[in-house]
Formats: sequence, structure tokens, C-alpha cells
Amino acid sequence: MKYELTDDQASVLAGLDQLLAGVDTDPPIEPVVFEYAAALDQTLAESGFLDIAREEGFSPLDAALIVERLARLPQVVEAAASAIVAPALGVPAGTRPVALLSGPLTKAARYLPMAQVLLADRGDHALAIKVEPDNVETVETLFAYPYGRLKRVEGLEQTRIDDVATLRRRWRIALAAEAAGCMASAIDTILEHVKTRQAFGQPLGAFQAIQHRLAMAAETAESTKYLAFRAAWSDSESDAAIAAGFAQTRTAQLAYDLHQFAGAMSLTLEFPLHLWTYRLRALAGELGGGSQQARAAALATWGDAA
Amino acid sequence: MEFGWSAEEEAHRARIRDLLARTLPADWEQISLHGPGSDAQTAYARQFCPVLAEEGLLVPNWPKEHGGEDAPVWLQFILGEEMWAAGEPRGGQYMNINWVGPVLMRYGTPDQLERHLPPIRAGQSLWCQGFSEPGAGSDLAALRTTATPVEGGYKVSGSKVWTSYAGLADTCFLLARVPAAAGGAEGKAGIVILLTDMKSPGIQVKQIPALIGEGDIHEVFFDDVFVPTTDRLGAEGQAWEIINYVLQHERVGIARYEFSRRTLDRAVAKLKAEGRWDDPIVQEKAGRALMLCEAARMLVYRIVDGKARDLPPDAFGSVARWAVVVADNGVNEFMTEFLPEGLLGEDPMQQAHHQRAIAAGIASGAAEIQLNLTARRWLQLPGEKRR
Repeated sequence: MKYELTDDQASVLAGLDQLLAGVDTDPPIEPVVFEYAAALDQTLAESGFLDIAREEGFSPLDAALIVERLARLPQVVEAAASAIVAPALGVPAGTRPVALLSGPLTKAARYLPMAQVLLADRGDHALAIKVEPDNVETVETLFAYPYGRLKRVEGLEQTRIDDVATLRRRWRIALAAEAAGCMASAIDTILEHVKTRQAFGQPLGAFQAIQHRLAMAAETAESTKYLAFRAAWSDSESDAAIAAGFAQTRTAQLAYDLHQFAGAMSLTLEFPLHLWTYRLRALAGELGGGSQQARAAALATWGDAA
Repeated sequence: MEFGWSAEEEAHRARIRDLLARTLPADWEQISLHGPGSDAQTAYARQFCPVLAEEGLLVPNWPKEHGGEDAPVWLQFILGEEMWAAGEPRGGQYMNINWVGPVLMRYGTPDQLERHLPPIRAGQSLWCQGFSEPGAGSDLAALRTTATPVEGGYKVSGSKVWTSYAGLADTCFLLARVPAAAGGAEGKAGIVILLTDMKSPGIQVKQIPALIGEGDIHEVFFDDVFVPTTDRLGAEGQAWEIINYVLQHERVGIARYEFSRRTLDRAVAKLKAEGRWDDPIVQEKAGRALMLCEAARMLVYRIVDGKARDLPPDAFGSVARWAVVVADNGVNEFMTEFLPEGLLGEDPMQQAHHQRAIAAGIASGAAEIQLNLTARRWLQLPGEKRR
């Protein structure tokens, strides 16, 4: 049990930070629902950071550390599915961005407008579907990700994957790692606000009513982070479902509280909080949501009735 | 970063489980029903702790010069997890091992070490913690019990409340205030720590009937109790530093989430046996409680990791303590909803868990204090103006 980063992990994250220092990671100047970081996407793809779990001597945990770090950025970039999910399902390196979908193929999926491949959970199996750009229609949404849906589902170029459990497990890990980064930045944004914004002669953050809820939010974020990292380390069904379920079930309260503390300002697109909370809200509904993850965690831990 | 156990740690855990399986009596669930402070459990601890001592498992965390093994932090923590999960067969003696001994080693005189450490090492000593008072609970600095200097020592007058284990304790780790009229300083600086013999004339202990079992809540009255200067721990004015050392030593606290997790495991086994486990609602709610236990575990392990690496304590302990309280109560909520019969005499261990869970957010300082500390020290939020 060691919470300290290994030399390799520290070196990878230092390298990532160096790379991020060379690109624009300030919050968007224009009020937008989200900003897809196409330049960063390309830089990441070329640098090999998203292929780390495919490298000898590295693991999904190294990928999760990267995903958590990237999720703290105001910009969105598809990293979690590429770095954590795709390597376990035989998707070739470089075939990305990767979109994920469960349920009907006509549902909207994150990153579909720019994805090369769609990994779909079809219940008893999975599909890797080649995405043709002209077969995707963009979906307008408050969720702070690019969303799209397939225009037609006939005649798709697809490969069957029998191991749907691996898709779900890695998806849960990816989701939890991404949520952890989003929570960290959302809380940082609000901390800065409540430390400077004055009301009744003192900073908002001096009021105990706010302090207690922020302390609970901090516990949520820290728990999500370590549960996600443990799940990435063990790559086990139960740890993955626990991590994803925890993040999903805590999102509503966390998002509500953080928006509350910035008042009406938090309802504007100018205030950057939504860039993370609306990613969290999107993640909270994936794979059937927190209640389904809770059931999955229970079944993975204790087995079924038999 | 990695989250596995070493072969040594796994062997250590297996050894403790084996010892518990061999040692705990058949009626252990009944013995432990009323909690670590009960007469039955205190008496059993006086048998059990010497067995642990023989195995080198009573004070392994202590330095060799004081009879310990200089055991790594994680091995000591695993011991604590297994003991608490089993219902704490060490009774109230776990306190001696975790912090009373270490604090004496740091601040005690040679005479105090000679008198107090051997009975702790032998598993024959019970301490109580004379901190809270009717007007000073989590706000310790407000305590009013007086320690008036007299020839050769102090005369103590006042009362303590909520004191665990006081009815059977040999010694009290007592906080009292030197009155201003007798030269005591204002506020925290006026507090002294007196290692008070509970058989001293003038001490009266009254157990308060409680929801959380026997022996956990007492009132202790001090009526002109003489405590010799040789029983004062540290210098006058040093008490607050020592209390902080105690709290730092207790930064991990007890492994409550482990008892909760095992209680949940047993509950699922029972629900399966009763044919109720295929209900999706039961599965979902069990999964939610499981997530809380594992979250608390990960945060507590983060603190143990810091201790193992000899990092200075930080405010993360308060973050973790909140998670532990939430986990205890989450499991309790699940049990009460789906297995209420456990509180109707059918499951002593469930009742024991329930009684620990309802105290989780109150014992060792209110959970809201942990939220305050998280806000101020972890999140660096400003203090509220007095209005």
C-alpha cells in the first residue's frame, strides 16, 4: 500500500505538465458550453501519453493518473476512453478519439462528432464500430462535452467483442478518473470564489454553512480520486463499480452545492464552474447511472443469489 | 502508487485472524454485545490482552526500549483493523496501546514510565480519558474542573462527563485548569494533565444509562481529590501541546469502516440465506453502503501511508474522519432498513455495530468539528467573524 507516486509515475506526470504548459489551458474567453481542445488532442496523440497503458511496465493506473490530470483542464479532450478503455479491447493505438455508448445505437454519445471508433455495450456483447463522420449528427446539450448520434445504424463497419465485461469495467474506471479531475477543478474554482467574494462584511467562505458543505465536497473529491486510482490499479470488477458508482451518486449534491455558493453567477456560461459540473452531470448518467453501478458493485463483491 | 499488500502484511493479517479464531470464546458475540467498556468485555480483555502480549501483538508499535517491536506502521494498523472488526476484544485497552503509552514515552518522567508502562504491556491496565465536561465537549479549552496547587500536588474539584471506561479504569488521563486565583494562566495555557489514580479518595463515578451499551458513558465527580505533582504529565502550560500530540497520534482513529464492512458482509450472507438477495433494491442499497465503506478505507489508508512515510500530520485526518462517520451511518441505515430483526435480539453483532455507528459522529469530537477543521486547515478557508 503506497500512496506516493513511483518515480515513473512522477516522471510521466511531470512530462504531461510540461506538455500542458506549452498549450493554452486558460478557461475559454467566450461564453461556451464547452471547448474541445483539438490542438491539445493532436499533441497528446503524438506524444504517446494516451498509449501509456499499452507500454511495457505501465498499467491502467498510469493512464488514470493522466486522465485525472487532463480532466482538471477547462477544455475537454477525449483521453479516458483512449487511454483506459481502448487498449483492453484490441482497438489499435492511434484509432481515436474513442466514443462510448450503452443501449440503443441511436443514442447520443460523448465525442462521437470527432470519434474514429465507437465502442458500444450491447448487453451480452460489445461492438467496435468504425465512425464515418458523415454518419454523425451533432447534438446540442448543456452537458459540457461534444455529443453526437449516428444518423443510420444499418450497414455499419463493426467488429464484435465478446468480452463486454471488460468494456464496462474499464469504462467505469475511466469515468471515475475523469470525474475525480472534474471534481478537483470544480472545487478549486469555487474555493477561489468564496475566499474573495465578500458578503455581510466577510468572505463567503468564512460562513460555516458554506464551510461544512465544501468540506463534504472535498471528501467526495478525495474519495473519488483514490477509489478511481485503486480501481485502475486492481482492474477488478468490484473496485471499478465502486469507484464509478461513488462518483456518480455523489455528483448531484456536489454540483448543487458548488453552484449554490456562486449564486446566479454560477448559472452563467461566463463563470467556468459549469465546464466541470456539466461534465460530471454527463458522467453521472452513463452506464445506467449510480444506482446501476451500486448494484454492479454489490454483485461483483458478493455474487448473485446462487 | 500501488494498493496491494506485501507478503509480510498478508501473513500478519492471517496470523491475527488465526489467533482470534483460536482464542475468542464461543459466546464472544454475547460478551461483546455491550461494547468495549462493558464489565464483560473489560474482564475478557484482561484475559485476552496477556495472550496478545505473549504473541508480541499487544504493543508491537512501541519502540524496543519500551518493550515493543518497533513494528512498521502498517502492521500495527492491520492489527487495529482486525481487532475492531472482531468487536475489539482488547476492550478499552486499545487506547493504552495507541496513544497513552506513546504519549507517556514522549512526555513522561522515568518514574511515570516505570509505574505505568509495565501494566499496559502486560495487558492489565485500563485508562479513561477525563476530557469532556458538562460545559466543555468538543470545545476542550472551555473546561472548568480545577486543579488548585497545594503542598506536594494539586487538589482537583469538578466533574467530567461522557467518560468512557471510567467505571473500571485504573487511571484517568485528566485535564484540569489551574485557577487564575492560584496563578493559572488564561485559556489553554492554564490546563494541566494529571495521571490520576482512580482509587483516590474523593472520586465518584456514576454510569449514565445509554443507547450505546454499558460502560461507555459516565459522569466522574472530583471532590478535593489530591493528585501528587509527580503525577502531572509535562509542565504546567504544556498540556495543550501534549493534547495535540495525542490527537496527532490518534489521527487515524479506530478502523470503524472495517467493522462496518464486515457487518455488511454478514448482512448479505444472511439476506442470501433468507432468499432476499435477488431483490435489486436490496442489491443497490447494499452497493451504496459498500461504496461508503471503501471510500472511508481509502482515505484512512492515505493517512496511514503518511504516517508510515513519517510525513508530518496534515488536516487530511479530518477529511477521512468524516468519511468514516458517513460509512458507519450508511451501513447502519442499510441494516436498519433491511434487517431490523437484528436489533430485536436476533443479531448481537449487528446491535454492537449499531451502537458504535450512532456514536461515530460524536466520539472523539463531533463530526462537525472535523468539517470545521477540513474547511479551515485543508481548504484554507477563512475563520468566521464573531458577531
